[in-house]
Amino acid sequence: MRFITLIGKNVVHRPMRSALTALGLSVAIAAVIVLVGISWNFERSFLAIYRSKGIDMVIVHAGSSNQLSSSLDVGMVDRLRRIEGVADAAPTLVDTVAFEDQNLASVLVDGWEPDSLLFKGIRILSGRSLRPGDDRSVLLGRVLALNLGKKVDDPIQVSGESFRVVGIFESDSLFENGALVLPLPDLQKMMGREGQATGIVVSATSSDATFLDGLRRRIESEIPAVAATPARDYVVADTQIRLAKAMSWTTGLIAMVMGALGMLNTMLMSIFERTREIGILRAVGWRRRRVLVLVLGEALLIATAGILIGGVLAVVGMRALMFSPTARGFIDPSIPIEVLGLAVLMGIGLSLLGGLYPAARAAALDPTEALRHE
Amino acid sequence: MSDVDGAPILRAEGLVKYYADGNVQALRGVSLEVRNGEFVAITGPSGCGKSTLLHLLGGLDRPDSGEVQFRGEPMAKLDLDAFHARRVGFVFQSFYLLPTLTAAENVQVPMFEGPWPRSERAGRASKLLEEVGLSHRAGQRPTRLSVGERQRVAIARALANEPELLLADEPTGNLDSASQDEILRLLGQLRERRRITLVIVTHSEEVARAADRRIAMKDGRIVGAE
Repeated sequence: MRFITLIGKNVVHRPMRSALTALGLSVAIAAVIVLVGISWNFERSFLAIYRSKGIDMVIVHAGSSNQLSSSLDVGMVDRLRRIEGVADAAPTLVDTVAFEDQNLASVLVDGWEPDSLLFKGIRILSGRSLRPGDDRSVLLGRVLALNLGKKVDDPIQVSGESFRVVGIFESDSLFENGALVLPLPDLQKMMGREGQATGIVVSATSSDATFLDGLRRRIESEIPAVAATPARDYVVADTQIRLAKAMSWTTGLIAMVMGALGMLNTMLMSIFERTREIGILRAVGWRRRRVLVLVLGEALLIATAGILIGGVLAVVGMRALMFSPTARGFIDPSIPIEVLGLAVLMGIGLSLLGGLYPAARAAALDPTEALRHE
Repeated sequence: MSDVDGAPILRAEGLVKYYADGNVQALRGVSLEVRNGEFVAITGPSGCGKSTLLHLLGGLDRPDSGEVQFRGEPMAKLDLDAFHARRVGFVFQSFYLLPTLTAAENVQVPMFEGPWPRSERAGRASKLLEEVGLSHRAGQRPTRLSVGERQRVAIARALANEPELLLADEPTGNLDSASQDEILRLLGQLRERRRITLVIVTHSEEVARAADRRIAMKDGRIVGAE
């Protein structure tokens, strides 16, 4: 008989309790994978936007926590282009719109100038890109076009105004694939923000961190009331992303702690019920360390089942989220390997932690006392 | 009758043991000697301290004063886990078999701490079950065995690592008279075959009669030896 056989038989001997503990843990694992995975993909997708377009810096109004609440004069772009170290700059106006007929509650809409650097990293799948002088024209991201059932030359209503689809594009970023792009003046007019942008993106002549730090200081000293932030820092510091990450981690951790408490409870009950069994193991010469490993092994086996079920639940949960009108187009259903690894490690770590106290108690049992236990 | 070679395997000197609350004195200065290969029965009324004495002799518990020596070595200086694993086997009235395991697997439990490689454990368990006449029940769980069969599995388990000393606490206490006879005969055979020392705590006059020597206890003291 292998030692693992003994561990397995002890776990299987109480099938309902072991299954419920594994299930509780699996829900916790799934919560961590789904929630942290979403926020992780959220950040990764944002970073992909900037990386694919060669954007090194984002300029917003000083004091704004994100682009949606920022307001800058588009005329500022020319001043930026004249600053040493700036290769190119482009204004962007960002908002969200709803397509209620298709149950899409919050679709990102970008207002860009045709031929601006913002079109880098975008591949036109059908039709064409925006051209200077385009009016009432719209580009649809691949996923949005699919969700809306639109193709090139189809008419489309955006916030009650009529447009025509001139092209469908694909981007490395999920957000852009679920977004639409309008000529900047059209969106400015729709939002009542003529001459305004929510942010200006800058491509620098070098992406070196020290160089970008110098450029940031030059921009902020030459143009008052703006905040210039390297793209990566901007994404990491973005309030919405930070909030999403904090919430996902907090919820995930609470779920994991609950899972670990479930493990603690199960293992404590198991040890209490098996006091005399453990007494006999000690009486036949089992060292304390072996008893400890036996109980921790049982916790680990339940945790492994929980992790496997949790992984499946996470994949199913992610797919199910794609059916949600608010999430569709915004959620990347892929599970980052880093998040999966982290969830597995947390599952194992917290389960061992939950099993440690019962295991230590079992190992500390005095054989005579244990055999006398009723 | 067996080979009793005269050398003491166990020696107890002035054993005193209080229960945990400190008010009840279970043993009041017990001294005894058990020789190599001897079969000793410890008898006496319930609560006289027989089981407590057996636990002290087997190193399952420590005396509050006095000393137990195994082959001249104070028990307090022994690696008790190694002692329990290799040199002494225990048999209890309630068998204490692990319910999740088959008879053969129960016999293998002490072998995890024994000298046997994993590949030999199953074979050894089979041989031990054969020795106690249960090879045909090797794959059964304890709940499928009669009480007599359970005790025979417990005896096979006690012999798993070839101990020199077998300590049994009321091994026939839960058995009907037929099973009791069977177990007594088995213990006698094993003792002859394996030349092990046997100390049995018992209420049974029949078991006591089968022993080489009887130690009678009352109120935590030895009151007679014959």
